[in-house]
Amino acid sequence: MSGLDAVGEGPVSSDATESAATGSTGDPSDHPSVAALLERFGDAVLRHRLNAGDQWVVWVDPARSHEILAWLKDDPDHLYDMMSDVTGVDYGKGRPVEVVYQMYSTGHRRALRIRCPLPLDALEIDSVYDLWKSVNWLEREVYDLFGVTFRGHPDLRRILMPSDYAEGHPLRKDFPLRGRFSRAEQTRRALNQDVERYYLAEDIAHGEPQQAPEVGTKASQDGEG
Amino acid sequence: MGLGDKLPGGGVSKTTGGILGPGTPTFLTSKVDALINWGRLNSLWPMPFGTACCAIEMMASAASNYDLARFGMERMSFSPRQADVLICAGRVPYKLAPVLRRIWDQMPQPKWAISMGACASSGGVFDVYSMVQGIDTIIPVDVYIPGCPPRPEGLIYGLMMVQEKIRQESLTKHFEHRAEDPATVGAPRASEEEVVGLTGPFGNSTHQERLSTGEIPTPESDEAADTIVT
Repeated sequence: MSGLDAVGEGPVSSDATESAATGSTGDPSDHPSVAALLERFGDAVLRHRLNAGDQWVVWVDPARSHEILAWLKDDPDHLYDMMSDVTGVDYGKGRPVEVVYQMYSTGHRRALRIRCPLPLDALEIDSVYDLWKSVNWLEREVYDLFGVTFRGHPDLRRILMPSDYAEGHPLRKDFPLRGRFSRAEQTRRALNQDVERYYLAEDIAHGEPQQAPEVGTKASQDGEG
Repeated sequence: MGLGDKLPGGGVSKTTGGILGPGTPTFLTSKVDALINWGRLNSLWPMPFGTACCAIEMMASAASNYDLARFGMERMSFSPRQADVLICAGRVPYKLAPVLRRIWDQMPQPKWAISMGACASSGGVFDVYSMVQGIDTIIPVDVYIPGCPPRPEGLIYGLMMVQEKIRQESLTKHFEHRAEDPATVGAPRASEEEVVGLTGPFGNSTHQERLSTGEIPTPESDEAADTIVT
């Protein structure tokens, strides 16, 4: 099998790539949050894995993701107060699109990755904007590039692609590399964009007003600012 | 019987010195073209439109080691309204295409454009959904500089080619050189056929057999297009 055949096969699933060299199922008791998740949300945890030495990954049921993430953020034993990244993965060939949450607990100095597989016919998940304000643009990016709808997001618009982009969601595996329109049509649409629209004041000042928390208040300790 | 005999003072200063010393002419004759072109080509102000790594080389060209000021590019004009030559350095995505077009439209005539590097000239390795396949589909380009990125010498050579181009211009052909149809302002420059021609199979594309025809693929055709023809 040549390298080109492998390209034609499409990307392999995460199961196959996660060989013993890069990860294992690990011992959940090594990571308090994983052990606690298995104990408390055992029916919602699909599987778990230890990658790259110390990166724990837990697959959870997307229907209960908000409940689980809220618990991980607020429970004093875990306190994942920093949402480092929200991103998505599409493995192609009809496999589910996964939404990935990369979190860090500054109090307990622990990192945890939560992944929610979403079937292609139901690309919807609850927004966690009410828990971490930092996910605002990150969820918009996942929506823009993968087409995942975040329920309850205050401002779910495209963020990287032009706002009138009509060709779909580019990072999906069923998206053709050069887009769906001809180059002529893409050029015509690009030049018809309203550039000034990107910089309107009301466009920038969107969502609820954000106030810097006073140092030492409860809000700053919770990371709500 | 030279010109000097017909002019007061003989045209030659024997005592006080002409422009090059005693015994040299006190005036020069030239073509207006040569004078104006000389002025234009030695005071080109570049408008830097740097979007990627080519811009690093462009900055290096302007810095003291290569010193673009030697050639009259004394000052990078960060306003298009005072600029003479647009240097597009780096890849241009479709989202930036109207910005580039508007900057070009804001530059006063006479103006020239340089497409610096592979990405600006042809899309480079980025034969993908988001990238303009050559900025000459957006604006008219005078000089293309190959390289990924070109060295500062390359950019200087390109700018000197622009200077050479200016040297060849003539005021009698002004409207020919500087013609700009107001209807094309803010519109794509290349014709649709030209742009479609850019979408032919490209060496590095994983969809080498696919032409972007504008049709939205059905799931069946999409499946077929995912296989690689070698």
